[in-house]
Amino acid sequence: MMTSATIGERRSPPSVVARLRRWIGRRDALVLLGPALGYLLVFSLFPLLYSLGISFYEFDVIESDWRFVGLEQYRSLLSDSVFWAAARTTAVMVGVGVTVQCILGTALALFFNLRLRGSSIVRGLLVVPMILNPVVVGLMWRALLNPDWGLVNWLLGGIGYDAPPNWLGDPSVAKWVLVFVDIWQWTPFVFIVVFARLQTLPEEIFEAAAVDGATPWGRLTQITLPLLASAVVFAGIFRAIDAFRTFDLVYGLTYGGPGRTTTTLSFYSFETGFSFTRYGFSSSIAYVMVIFAAAASMILLKRVDIRREDAR
Amino acid sequence: MRTRRARRVLRVGQYLLLAAIGLVGVAPIAYLLLLSSKRRIDILEVPPRLNVEWEVIRSNYADVLFERNFLDFVVNSIVVTGISVGIALVLGVPAAYAFSRYRFRGKDRWASTILSFRFMPPIAVAIPILLMVRSVGLTDTKAGLIIPYVAFSLPFVIWIMIGFFDEVPRDIDAAAALDGCGPWGTLIKILLPLVRPGIVVAAIFSSIFVWNEFLVGLYLINSEDQKTIPIAAAGLISAQRPIDWDVAATVGVVTLVPLLVASFFIQKYIVRGITAGAVK
Repeated sequence: MMTSATIGERRSPPSVVARLRRWIGRRDALVLLGPALGYLLVFSLFPLLYSLGISFYEFDVIESDWRFVGLEQYRSLLSDSVFWAAARTTAVMVGVGVTVQCILGTALALFFNLRLRGSSIVRGLLVVPMILNPVVVGLMWRALLNPDWGLVNWLLGGIGYDAPPNWLGDPSVAKWVLVFVDIWQWTPFVFIVVFARLQTLPEEIFEAAAVDGATPWGRLTQITLPLLASAVVFAGIFRAIDAFRTFDLVYGLTYGGPGRTTTTLSFYSFETGFSFTRYGFSSSIAYVMVIFAAAASMILLKRVDIRREDAR
Repeated sequence: MRTRRARRVLRVGQYLLLAAIGLVGVAPIAYLLLLSSKRRIDILEVPPRLNVEWEVIRSNYADVLFERNFLDFVVNSIVVTGISVGIALVLGVPAAYAFSRYRFRGKDRWASTILSFRFMPPIAVAIPILLMVRSVGLTDTKAGLIIPYVAFSLPFVIWIMIGFFDEVPRDIDAAAALDGCGPWGTLIKILLPLVRPGIVVAAIFSSIFVWNEFLVGLYLINSEDQKTIPIAAAGLISAQRPIDWDVAATVGVVTLVPLLVASFFIQKYIVRGITAGAVK
C-alpha cells in the first residue's frame, strides 16, 4: 500500500507538467512537420489515390468523358500480350540486371580495397555515369553501337570479331543491350555502397583471421562477404526498385523496340497514357507497378530502420 | 625469385585492370564529346579521327545553343531546379528535424510513408498530376513543373537530413534550450550550421533528380519556351526517327555538361548521399 501510494504521489505531480511539456513538444513537432506532410498529402498521396480511381474508368478522348468500368481494365491486362512482354522485360531488368550489378559492384569494391595508387581518381570517375541523364545515356550508347560507324563494332573488329549482331535492331539482342547499359550506368552505385561498408569494417577482424592461418580465399568467403552482405542487399533492393520503373533509358535507347522487346512496364504505361491518351488503362498498368514498388519499399525501409536502431 | 616476378606481373595486371575500369566508365562520354566536334559527314568515318576543328565545334554548339534555343532550355532548367530544390529544403529540413528529435504517435509510420514515396514509379502519378495542374490552369508553366518536383524532392531531402540530424548529439539541443532557444531558434541558429554538409548533399541529390526529370515533364509541358533540357533533348533525339548525329551528340553534351562540371566539385557529397542510410 505504502509503496504504491508513494509511487502514485511521485508520479502525479510531474504528470501535469510532463503532459504539458509533451503537448508543447507535440505542437512544435506539428509546426515543423506540418508543411512537408501537408504538401506530400496533397501532391503525392492524393495523386497516387487519384490514379487508383482513374484506373477504374475509361477515358474517351473524343467526348472527353470518363466511363466507369470497374476492374475491366485490370482484367484486360491479364490477356494483354504486350503487358506480359513488358512485365518479362522489366523482370529481366530487375532479376538479371540488378544481380549482375550486385556481383560486379561487390567485386569492384574488393578490388578498390587493394588501394592501388590512383584508385581514388578512378573511383571518382565511376561516380559520373550515375548522374547522367538516362535519355542521353541511351542516345550515347546508340551512337557507340551504331552498326555502320559505331565505336564498339570497330573495337570488336580489332580483336577479330567481325560479325557482331545488330545490337539494337535484332529483337533477341536489344533487350540484353538495355540490361547492359543499365549495368554500365548503375554498377557504380552498388560499388560505392559496398565500398563504404568495407571501410567501416575493423582491421582487427582480418588481422586475427590472418593470425589464425586463414587463407585469403577463406578470409573472403568466411569473413568479408558475410559482413558485406547486408550492404549488398540494401544496394540491391534500392537498385531493384529503380530498375523496376526504368523509363528514360528506354526512351533514349530503343523507344521500346524493335517490336516490343524493350518495352518496360513504365514505358508501356507511358505509351498508352501519353501517346494514346488511354488514361484509365495506363493507370491500371501503373497501379500494378505501385503494388510491387510498395511491397519492395516496405522491405527496404524495414532494413533501414533496423540499421538506425543498431547505430544508437 | 619466381614469386617476386609473379608478384610484379600481378601488380601490373592490377593496374591494367584499374585503367580498364576507368576507361569503361568514361570512354562512352568522351566518345559523345568527340562526336559533338564533328561534321555530320565526318561522323561516318571509322575509326573516328581525333583532330579538333574549332570551326566545326563552334558551329555545332552555336547551332544547338542559339538556333535551337538550348540556351533558353538550360536557363529554364536552372530556374525550375533552383526553385524546386529551394522549396523542398525549406519544407523538408524542419520536417527531418522533427523526425530526428520529437516523439509522437505514429512517427515511424509517418517517416516510412514519406520515404516510400521516394520509390513510387513516377508514371503512377503523371496523369493525376497532369489533371490537377491542368485544372488550376498551370500546364505549360514553370510553376506547374515546380509543384510536382517539390513533391518528388521532399522524400530525398527528409531521408538524407534525418541521418544528419541524428548524428548531432542531443546535448547540443539541451544546451540551446537552457540558453532560452525555442525549437526554431535551436534549429536555425545552432543546428543548421552543424548539418550544413547534409543540406549540401540533400540539395545536390534533389538537383540531380530535378535536372534529369523527364517523364512528368513530358506530360506537363508542350510549348517550346517552357521546356527544360531533357524534354527539349527528347524532342530531337527520340529513338523513333533517324537522327542528325552531329546535332544529337551536341545536344547530349549540352544536357550533360552542367552536371558533369558540378560533379567534379561535389563528388564526395554524392558519395555521402548514396551511402546515407546504407552504412550507419
